[in-house]
Amino acid sequence: MPKRFNCLLAVLTMLLVAASAVFAHHSVAGQFDTSKSLTLKGSIAKLQWMNPHIYVYIDVKEADGTVTTWALETLPTAMMRKAGLSKESVMGVPGELVTVLVVPAKDGTKHLGWISKITYADGHYYALGGAGPVQ
Amino acid sequence: MKNRFLHCIVVTVAVLFAAYAMVSDVNAQAPPKPTPHLADGRPDLNGTWDHGGGIGFVRPQTLPDGSVCVLGCPPAATAAPPRGGNNPPPGARGGRGDAAAAPDAPAARNFPKYKPEFLAKVKDLNDRQVQTDTLLQCQPPGVPRIGPPHKILQNAREVVFLYDDVNGSFFRIIPTDGRPHRKGLPAGYLGDAIGHWEADTLVIETVNFNEETWLIDNGAFHTKDLKVVERLRRVGDTIEYQATAHDPALLVEPWAMRPQALRLTDHELEESARCEDRDLEHIIDGSHHDNPR
Repeated sequence: MPKRFNCLLAVLTMLLVAASAVFAHHSVAGQFDTSKSLTLKGSIAKLQWMNPHIYVYIDVKEADGTVTTWALETLPTAMMRKAGLSKESVMGVPGELVTVLVVPAKDGTKHLGWISKITYADGHYYALGGAGPVQ
Repeated sequence: MKNRFLHCIVVTVAVLFAAYAMVSDVNAQAPPKPTPHLADGRPDLNGTWDHGGGIGFVRPQTLPDGSVCVLGCPPAATAAPPRGGNNPPPGARGGRGDAAAAPDAPAARNFPKYKPEFLAKVKDLNDRQVQTDTLLQCQPPGVPRIGPPHKILQNAREVVFLYDDVNGSFFRIIPTDGRPHRKGLPAGYLGDAIGHWEADTLVIETVNFNEETWLIDNGAFHTKDLKVVERLRRVGDTIEYQATAHDPALLVEPWAMRPQALRLTDHELEESARCEDRDLEHIIDGSHHDNPR
């Protein structure tokens, strides 16, 4: 193996070790199955601006015409504030169709998940982690 | 060969140093400015203060179309800073169970040294943290776990600390005019504090704690006899903050938290949102739910 590559490998390895220390305790994975994701389309029925996590409720119309409400968890309020997001900005326009990339609950609870990304009707989105890099 | 090895070491250290600098709150200090003083000659601690730690290394990106990437963001080459600039609000700390809540690793490693006979209890509490950590149930974090204040109000008689915490809004009133600890108070989460000045450093001694809180994550319990000493020293637009926990019945030696540098910010506090935990029943594998502050 070329020596320069050895050096590069050493640098990358040490960076990985350092990064893993910083990102340790990534406990979205404690409650949500970060190996899975699903996409929902629906409208925001309710938003609870609360700690330790905000809850967004999405009404999803099923194929048979019935409506299922999903309870979707996301970041704490202070972090949303840091990102310049408010309750109003997350709510969007009343009734608008949103597309949500969701990480499902690890314990199998139905209709419970973590919002990885929410995209609004005009195309703008909020990426909130939990399912790898933003696509 | 030897030169190549040395070069590799130098490059590695340089890269690590640069990476550390990116996430270190202490490295984000502004250039020193004159330290303001009040009419009584004491350093002026008044203001809203940003800790810059915890999730501070996460840099939200706002894109031209109004999109915001908070986590899992691509490189920020073309992204605009988030609204409000780069100066985060004082309460922008990690919540529970999110990638944003990545703890400050040095603090996590800086664990109190318990006497051998208490290590089993620490381990048990840590193993059952989801059930045993009252902070996960929206209770007050206690001192020193709550961290430095987010806002300080000061006059010649007392100093008031305000906290905008994930678990709620909290306050501490700290007499600095020689009043002793109050008697007859019930033991509390945040204890009873008194302060005095040692030159330009405000020294706070807090006692009268209940036993509901931990010193830090991972089962670091304490007794009702805990005494916490905090030291705050303003230098320009920063405050150097340090807290040390004394609990000689449990600890081999006093435990000093990692020093923190607080930066003056123009973001005002907001009323904390209601705290209600709904997560714990869904954590089925004992995963940790850490809470850097």
